[in-house]
Amino acid sequence: MVRLEKDKFDDFIRSLAGDYIVYAPVTAGGKSSFKVVESAEDIDGNCLVTDRSPKEIFFPHSEVLFEYDRDGVRELERSGKPIAVWGLRGCDVKSLAMLDKVFGNARQMPDNEMFQDPYWKQKYDDSLVFGLACNEPRSTCFCNWLGGDPHGGDGSDVFVVDAGDAYLMKPGSDKGKAFIEKMTDAGPASDADEKKAGELASGARAMLSDPLALDELDGRLKAVFHEDIWEELSAKCVNCGACAFVCPTCHCFDVQDEGKGGKGKRIRIWDSCMFPIFTKEASGHNPRQLSRERFKQRVMHKFSYFVDNYGESLCTGCGRCVVACPVNVDIREVIKKVILFEGKGAR
Amino acid sequence: MSNTYIPINMRVERIAVEDPDKALRTFDLAFVDEADGEKFTYMPGQFCEFSLLGKGESPFGIASSPTEPGFLRFTVNRTGSVTNEIHYLRVGDTVGIRGPLGNWYPVEKFKGGNVVIIGGGFAFTTLRSLIVYMLEHRQDYGDMTVIYGARNPDLLLYKEELEEWQKRDDLTLHLTIDNPVEGWTGMTGFVPAVVKDVAPSTENAWVVLCGPPIMIKFTLPVLAELKFPDARVYTSLERRMKCGIGKCGRCNIGSKYICIDGPVFSMEEIGKIPEMI
Repeated sequence: MVRLEKDKFDDFIRSLAGDYIVYAPVTAGGKSSFKVVESAEDIDGNCLVTDRSPKEIFFPHSEVLFEYDRDGVRELERSGKPIAVWGLRGCDVKSLAMLDKVFGNARQMPDNEMFQDPYWKQKYDDSLVFGLACNEPRSTCFCNWLGGDPHGGDGSDVFVVDAGDAYLMKPGSDKGKAFIEKMTDAGPASDADEKKAGELASGARAMLSDPLALDELDGRLKAVFHEDIWEELSAKCVNCGACAFVCPTCHCFDVQDEGKGGKGKRIRIWDSCMFPIFTKEASGHNPRQLSRERFKQRVMHKFSYFVDNYGESLCTGCGRCVVACPVNVDIREVIKKVILFEGKGAR
Repeated sequence: MSNTYIPINMRVERIAVEDPDKALRTFDLAFVDEADGEKFTYMPGQFCEFSLLGKGESPFGIASSPTEPGFLRFTVNRTGSVTNEIHYLRVGDTVGIRGPLGNWYPVEKFKGGNVVIIGGGFAFTTLRSLIVYMLEHRQDYGDMTVIYGARNPDLLLYKEELEEWQKRDDLTLHLTIDNPVEGWTGMTGFVPAVVKDVAPSTENAWVVLCGPPIMIKFTLPVLAELKFPDARVYTSLERRMKCGIGKCGRCNIGSKYICIDGPVFSMEEIGKIPEMI
């Protein structure tokens, strides 16, 4: 573990920005998101979970796939610098690893380039991820339900603890180890630093509510698929899609051509299974006509289908959807009700 | 790395109008760059994203067979914005395709078996690919029975080819239309009823079923009644799609993505998916 004094943090970010495109939490107009920063003063160091998720760093809300004109298509030039992300919370680090499972390849053909998303890979594969421990989780945080830990560094290249007057850093990967070894402005951490980090970790863990065991959830969801519990669960939902847009793991997208006169660009834009048009076919037929069917699809995808395909839930417990929902649908309550459901389809 | 979102350039070589309404057109596309054609290896049942720059993409099953080199065939029903634009294409125009995508009919499994192919309406495209492929490898398969229905004779695809097939003695072709029409010499009645009448033997048999949802819905009980096991009945599913490579989430049903886990599924597999057909 090394120790970076906070008065050297600005130099650290400026030097990092020399080698990388650095993204970090920035609060502007009362909303926080990951933006490109040049110096420490751009960064909101107190921001816990950003309002917008960091998925947009690697999978932007709207992304040009290519440009075209009458002569054909033209790929866009990418910046040569790799991306570094400072201040990713454990839940968000995990979300990127989940998205990498989807965009990095296809389950059946991991080595076939036809199934690898070049736009994701160009940005994600050589990125440097700084995980930042959460000392004070929010009331909406439930990473511990999904196997997360506010002081867990899994997936980070460099894991960082904010110890008040300094950042304590330890490597989480070979890439991170090499980075730390080359750092000139950090010194070795003391025993007192290690102790402090330990105390912050136990303090943070104690602030989280007791986790609900989710082992049975996938099976329960499949068992109640055809039951009317969904009507009750989705009754409040207005299918606005806010949950999917702030979600760090929701990754559905639409592809549209934008242009005129034979010139334009093909872009992809975030989309959501919450919207009726998502599945509406040209014939007019819509396999998910009803609001509750779409609500069910999102829950099933996260806690059952993704589990089938990748062995884990497509949820990190970041709680952004709980905060963003305009009608207070709380995914924790939904899960709880499914597990505790006693009607038809119950055990 | 290669970019899977960039379409392969194709040139429209031939256009055939399939019906009097001109709602169904068949396009034969040739590879502009022959090297692309050499790399493009596919099997019956696979599909492509058909791309028109500025208009968008739509997925279509490949109607040509890999045994017919040099071109790819697609039959397009004019129903939405992209298909409407595709219908304006002229011979010589350049279009794009991405593919081949998805899985295919298990022709290897079918080897040595009797194959019953049941189709309805303009969903006959990949079935044509399958039939042409099997005829080219005729000695690998036992009896071939094809049951193909459309609302009226005009709506049957690939009419000239159907006539050729009717003359063959190594393929039994039953054509049917919904209601009697003067001069029609084939059968009359909906596909499920015809399947029941024809009652193909289940012995060492495989079924491939492809058509509108309503036809599938009513044909499945007939096949069950005839005692075809679900594991030996295959169908091809459709859902709205965008990326075609298992990313965009649109065609997800149950734990499957139609684009990468399908479009071909056995009824046994479909039975395990809660939200289907």
